[in-house]
Amino acid sequence: MLQVEELSHSFKNGNEITAVLHDISFRVHKGQMVALLGSSGSGKSTLLNLMAGLMKPTEGNIFIAGHSISAMNENKLAEFRRKHIGFIFQAYELLANLTVRENIELPLVFQSVQPSVRRKKALELLEKVGIPDKADLFPSQLSGGQQQRVSIARSLITEPSVIFADEPTGNLDTRTEEEILAILKTLNQTLHTTFIIVTHEREVAAQTEHILTLRDGSLVTDRQKVAEVLPSGGIAIETK
Amino acid sequence: MRLSDISRLSWDQVKRRKVVTALCAAGISIGCAAIIVAMSIGESAQLYIEKQMNSYLNMDEITVRANSGAFTDNSGSAADNEALQKGLLTRQKLDIMRQISQVSAAAPYRQLGHMQLSTLDHLTSQYSTELLGTDFDTLTAFGHSFLYGGPSDLAGTIVLNYGATLGLMDEETKQSLQEQMSGNYYDKAVIDQMNSYNRIPTALYQKQVRFLFYTPEGEAYSSPLRVVGVLRKPSGVSEDNLAYDKKGYVSLQTAEMLQKELKLGGEISGDFNSIIVKVDDQDHIEQVERQIQKLTVTTETNLHQKERLAGEFKILKAAALGIGVFILIIASISIVVAMTMSTYQRRRQIGIMKVLGANLSQIRNLFIVEAALLGLLGGLLGVLFSYWIVWGINGLIYRLADEQDSVIIFIPLATIPVGMAFALATGVFSGIYPAISASRTDALTAIRRD
Repeated sequence: MLQVEELSHSFKNGNEITAVLHDISFRVHKGQMVALLGSSGSGKSTLLNLMAGLMKPTEGNIFIAGHSISAMNENKLAEFRRKHIGFIFQAYELLANLTVRENIELPLVFQSVQPSVRRKKALELLEKVGIPDKADLFPSQLSGGQQQRVSIARSLITEPSVIFADEPTGNLDTRTEEEILAILKTLNQTLHTTFIIVTHEREVAAQTEHILTLRDGSLVTDRQKVAEVLPSGGIAIETK
Repeated sequence: MRLSDISRLSWDQVKRRKVVTALCAAGISIGCAAIIVAMSIGESAQLYIEKQMNSYLNMDEITVRANSGAFTDNSGSAADNEALQKGLLTRQKLDIMRQISQVSAAAPYRQLGHMQLSTLDHLTSQYSTELLGTDFDTLTAFGHSFLYGGPSDLAGTIVLNYGATLGLMDEETKQSLQEQMSGNYYDKAVIDQMNSYNRIPTALYQKQVRFLFYTPEGEAYSSPLRVVGVLRKPSGVSEDNLAYDKKGYVSLQTAEMLQKELKLGGEISGDFNSIIVKVDDQDHIEQVERQIQKLTVTTETNLHQKERLAGEFKILKAAALGIGVFILIIASISIVVAMTMSTYQRRRQIGIMKVLGANLSQIRNLFIVEAALLGLLGGLLGVLFSYWIVWGINGLIYRLADEQDSVIIFIPLATIPVGMAFALATGVFSGIYPAISASRTDALTAIRRD
């Protein structure tokens, strides 16, 4: 499903080159829920952006659903993201001028899907994330937890191959955090959607099946959760 | 992305960003209104002047005269006489002219000259009246209508135009006015008094009038003629001008009788002095003129005046359009600035859309449609403004103009789509740069929270 091969990335700042990621390789299978754990500056956000095609890696390859995203141009990447990738942001990133339902429908708007089809799917997803009565409200009328539920529903509407969640509970209180993680787990189990959750909180990572720990731009194994070490030194995560 | 979705999302932004929308729409509306008003003033002024020229120069009429060589000349050879006969204005030629499909009327005229009209109780005007022999039946065909009475077949009758009934006064009043005028030619009070006298109508219907003609032997009065009709005053002519325009129409038979009676000189080649041909449309003038010329007669039109006027107005309208376009260009700069600022403020939103799968063209289209909507809104406002402006100008003209029948500015329907098209085009062109700029926004930079 998701395969990262010998990925390295560095930033150029004047004449100085700062290496952020070093030779990272791992494979995630369909339906897995994986946490990408690391402290601030460990390179986890850079890795997420590279996997989502928002940045080009300095070296290495990324394959999602069999497609190498490293070689794609901006328009191809946009089309690929539209079909295969879902996003959940820490700050929800809902468009304030659109209603909850319209926000959820937005990725399908870019795919020119019929309004009636979009509407039906959006309402179904609202049901799944537990806020069926909020369809016609605007984001500003919702609590943080409710907004994140909307963000989850929006990420699911295109039935993507993989969903990247960037600190999805970072702005929430403990009780809401638990609710959101419970929703993600349920959706992972019922829809078999692959989730990559980026977090710096070990408690959040502990809720997932597998943990990839990043330290100073390198991947370190978490022995309890890792099933296979690849010959290249990378880590493969198999379904239990 | 569906057009309905692009429109909806763009319209949503237009509604949401009220200040930007108001600024951009105001700029465009001023440019659009300037174009519409400028073109309307040009069109209205052209129509007004054409109307005025029509009333003075009768643009839809052709004056036909005998061929230049067709005067009675007894010394010519037989061959010359034949050539001369060909150029005469005859009743047969008149009938042929009337049969031309684009000819709506043809009136024969026998000009008897300008004479002093007098009532039997010696009321006369300061100005002379032109006496014309014609077919009474053609008067209505030439746009005249009767205020009193109507045409009559009886000999010794006359139809007067409205101007001929104005300013009739007794000898004593006339003398007094002339005395006041002498040495006071620029005295406004005296001029106003004389003008008001000249505007007073006298009831002449069914009264008898006669004409005074000065011959080398002295004054000669015509036999009394009974007024069987008075024509209405024509539209588009001021009261002052009416007082100078004095005409009396008699039948051709009466004209012949008066010519003999008053011993009027001048030779008539053929049956009439001239024939006035009225054409159904000014566009047919040239075509009809060519057909008439085949009858070996001389024709005369005022078409060249219209062509000259059209040429001048073409320049005026182009200049007006140029001013409007210049204002729109200035307005477009405000849109570019406002939209570019709006793009900058919406970077995060654009970033989110790109992360969610919007490609370059979809982002670009959203901004261009938004700019087009601003243009459309500005155009609609511009149309509204132009009606207000024209209404204001007309009010001003009405207050300031002395004449009741002064120029009225109207908005020709054709100028509205022109103004709207310019407004829309300004919106779209102004939106191109901000749209490209928006589509190039780096999604990652846009959504990053530092």
